[in-house]
Amino acid sequence: MARKQVDLLQGTLDLLVLKSLALGPLHGLGVSNRIAQITKGTFNVKPGSLFPALHRMEEAGWLQSSWGESENNRRAKYYRLTAAGRRQLDAETQDWQRISLAITTALKAT
Amino acid sequence: MPLIPRLTSLWRNLFHKDRVDQESSEEIQAYLDLLTEAKLRQGMSPQEARRDALLELGGVEQVEERVREIRMGRFIETVWRDARTGVRALVHSPVFTVVTVLLLALGIGANTAIFSVVNGLLLRPLPYPESEQIVDVWHTPPQQSFPGLDRFTVSPANYLDWKAQSTAFEQMAVYTDTRLSLSTSNDPLSLIGAVVSSEFFSVLRSNAMQGRTFTPDEERPGRDQVVVIGHGLWQRAFGANANIIGQTLTLNSRSFTVVGIMPAGFEFPREAELWIPLAWDDNERQVRSDHNYLVIARLKHNVSAEQAQAEMSTISSRLEQQYPEANKGWGAVVIPLREDLVGDVRLALLVLFCAVGFVLLIACANVANLMLARGANRKREIAVRIALGAGRARLVRQLLTESVLLAVTGGLLGLLLAVLANRMLVQLGSLPNSGDIGIDTWVLGFTLSVSFAAGILIGIVPALQFTRTSISETLKQGSGRTGGSPIKQHTRKALVISEVALSLVLLIGAGLMIRSFWKLQNVDPGFDTRNALTMSVVLTWIRYPEPHQRLAFVERAMEQIRAVPGVVSVGTTTKIPLTGGGSTQPFSVEGRSTAAIAEQPMAQTRYISPDYFRAIGIPLRQGRFFSDQDRDNSVPVVIISEAMARRFWPGENAVGKRLTPSFHLEQGAREIVGVVSDVKSSGLDADASAMMYLPYKQAPLPFISFVVRTASNPESLIQPVSKAIYSIDKEQALTNVQTLDQVLSKSLSGRRFNMTLLLTFAGVALMLAAVGVYGVMNYTVTLRRRELGIRMALGAEKMDVLRLVLGQGLTLTLIGVGAGLISAYALTRLMASLLYGVTATDYLTFGSVSVVLIAVGLAASYIPARRATKVNPTIALRAE
Repeated sequence: MARKQVDLLQGTLDLLVLKSLALGPLHGLGVSNRIAQITKGTFNVKPGSLFPALHRMEEAGWLQSSWGESENNRRAKYYRLTAAGRRQLDAETQDWQRISLAITTALKAT
Repeated sequence: MPLIPRLTSLWRNLFHKDRVDQESSEEIQAYLDLLTEAKLRQGMSPQEARRDALLELGGVEQVEERVREIRMGRFIETVWRDARTGVRALVHSPVFTVVTVLLLALGIGANTAIFSVVNGLLLRPLPYPESEQIVDVWHTPPQQSFPGLDRFTVSPANYLDWKAQSTAFEQMAVYTDTRLSLSTSNDPLSLIGAVVSSEFFSVLRSNAMQGRTFTPDEERPGRDQVVVIGHGLWQRAFGANANIIGQTLTLNSRSFTVVGIMPAGFEFPREAELWIPLAWDDNERQVRSDHNYLVIARLKHNVSAEQAQAEMSTISSRLEQQYPEANKGWGAVVIPLREDLVGDVRLALLVLFCAVGFVLLIACANVANLMLARGANRKREIAVRIALGAGRARLVRQLLTESVLLAVTGGLLGLLLAVLANRMLVQLGSLPNSGDIGIDTWVLGFTLSVSFAAGILIGIVPALQFTRTSISETLKQGSGRTGGSPIKQHTRKALVISEVALSLVLLIGAGLMIRSFWKLQNVDPGFDTRNALTMSVVLTWIRYPEPHQRLAFVERAMEQIRAVPGVVSVGTTTKIPLTGGGSTQPFSVEGRSTAAIAEQPMAQTRYISPDYFRAIGIPLRQGRFFSDQDRDNSVPVVIISEAMARRFWPGENAVGKRLTPSFHLEQGAREIVGVVSDVKSSGLDADASAMMYLPYKQAPLPFISFVVRTASNPESLIQPVSKAIYSIDKEQALTNVQTLDQVLSKSLSGRRFNMTLLLTFAGVALMLAAVGVYGVMNYTVTLRRRELGIRMALGAEKMDVLRLVLGQGLTLTLIGVGAGLISAYALTRLMASLLYGVTATDYLTFGSVSVVLIAVGLAASYIPARRATKVNPTIALRAE
């Protein structure tokens, strides 16, 4: 990856995971690939932070997991959003937009 | 997350841990496989793909561990597992465990014991509903007559005016404590009782357990022959028979009908077991100058003690203007009941509480040092666990669990110790309301919190230090003895220094108390306490209404006592010195301007028999003693104390002067016929007060205390002397039967209690500090064996080595002593009011205690130093 990678802000990982699962269930590697894809390679989530996040969000009730078959017939654990997860995604998206707007405005100010 | 799934998840995480763990391990494995495949598809070789995937994953174990950390219930599970690991580790080193638990049990036990006293006396609400609303109301006496006295009993007329005019109180009641003699088939029982107005029980919001309390109607003379009895007395004297209600008792030779039984625990005023109505007749209600009653009141809900105080001050000054003759200078003070009950012991208790706190801190420092020493051996274990992926937080938690486990075990054992200690405290102590002292939920909570705090305190320093170690260094060092890092030695030394400092503060506190006590014991009470017996009787009005009858009783009693073999002399007075209280009255001096009674000077007054001074051993300074010729129809006479002579006739001869005590105006001025030496009437630590003695034959009161001087051991005469008095009238109960030595000893019991406890704590602290110094020096010698061996191989003498180690121990002790002296200088002044005859910064105490501590420090370093001199250079060098 040519582009410089950025450390994830605290809290943004949750948002990215929720967003990547909004389109449909994925397994762990799928989530990290999807994040890399939708951020155009800016973020590369390592398993060391991904799995704890997935489990924490499952415990929080935002995700549900089940075992399934992967594209090439491998057993893998799939995560999907729950209703609570969708609400969380909406809330976090709005928060993020407010923050990002504020920061952008602040940086543009002369 | 809704409750049900959350609970299921907790359940799963806790009890199906294996399955959960296995699932997450499978999940990560699957990720690894998928990643490897992806890399294969990018054209890597199988080995390359696998290695790359593993690198990217960053260690399966670590990821699994972090996932585990996340799972809910993880915390509880960790604690449980840590506890199990902890128990296993502790069982592995039984000596360490036992020593630690005992140290902590000692510290926590002492704290629990003192806390249960503090809790019972200062914290727990009094056993009356909404007790914070109850206040005592006292007179404040005119300061020129009673210098230093801040509260005084109340006169009937003033009480009645207070009650009528005040609005701050829901209710106000008046009472006085009294001795009642209950006639039984054997000798009469002398009981403490109270004469109370009908509002008394409702001010305390206390009802009879059976029957009733008093009605207002029973405050009238003639209707007042009813009695309420205490639970203890009911069980002791009446076999807990409920039929006692309605029966009659003979108290002070009058019969009273029992109308109620109070519940267990109701004991107000202190130790009272019987309550009878207070029935003033119309004359008594007019009395304004004779102050004999106590007043309690319940504040209205929205009224504070300060507001009540303001109102009472207004009322008092109004009464002063209205009745200047009697009330000039008399104010009123409102004091919350608890303050009044325990005000005297509060400071002493807080000092003791601080002292035990220090003991616990020292014990904790010792245990922390033990843990550091032990930790040196566990360093490898910990390094291995870090290498295997345990997080630092996780390890700190594990080590803390272990120390908390130790502390809680110590705390439980300490609780047992406290139960035993409490029994001793109550026996030893002159504590008010000792029935309130015990283990309750507050005490349990306290013990538990202190145990937890102690556990964290002793665990945190070692835990942080061990987990900071470099893994590779430790593992590389192999099985060789790992030397303590310099940092750790600093910590150990700092701990020992604080131990020495804390114990120095305690020792100085104890030393000051001991010096006070010694000084007090050397104070001359002014009379001879050896070989003397005393006993009191209050003649009942109904059988001895006339003065000549009371005289006759005293004459016959003294005759009978004199006839007892072994009796040297016998005298009577109205109050034995050092037993508290006593009557005080105003007087005027002939030839000087007479002021209103309220402004007259005051003097303590005793009514005595001619032989009293000889019997109690008060020497005559001038003039003469009373004789049998000083009787009701002879010239009125008085004997005064030296203090009184000095104060009112400075530089003059008081003998021959005349004064008029205001309670005996009808007999006119009295001639001073003698001056006797001073006695400490109200306490060894108080100044001797102005005292006048009147011949009892010129004013026979019903309060009689006999003083019997004996040829030998006075205790053997208690029986025959009591019998001699009962042979005259067996319904007049004798009270306070004791030797004068016991009287003296009792007057010091509060101080003895404080001193003994503080001394005990200081002793324990000294011992612990000595163990601490020994432990550190011993460990240092072990660490420095090699160095010492080299020194000796290079020609160092045994003396040099001895000096080296002792010097190090001495340095530690000296730094501790220095820190301790500074802290003690700041702290001991808080206890100044507990001291007598020494200042809080008494240099003799500070100096001698420092010397003791330095000596102990040297002694504790001596054993390790001796060991150091025995190091065999060849062996020491080869051992590494």
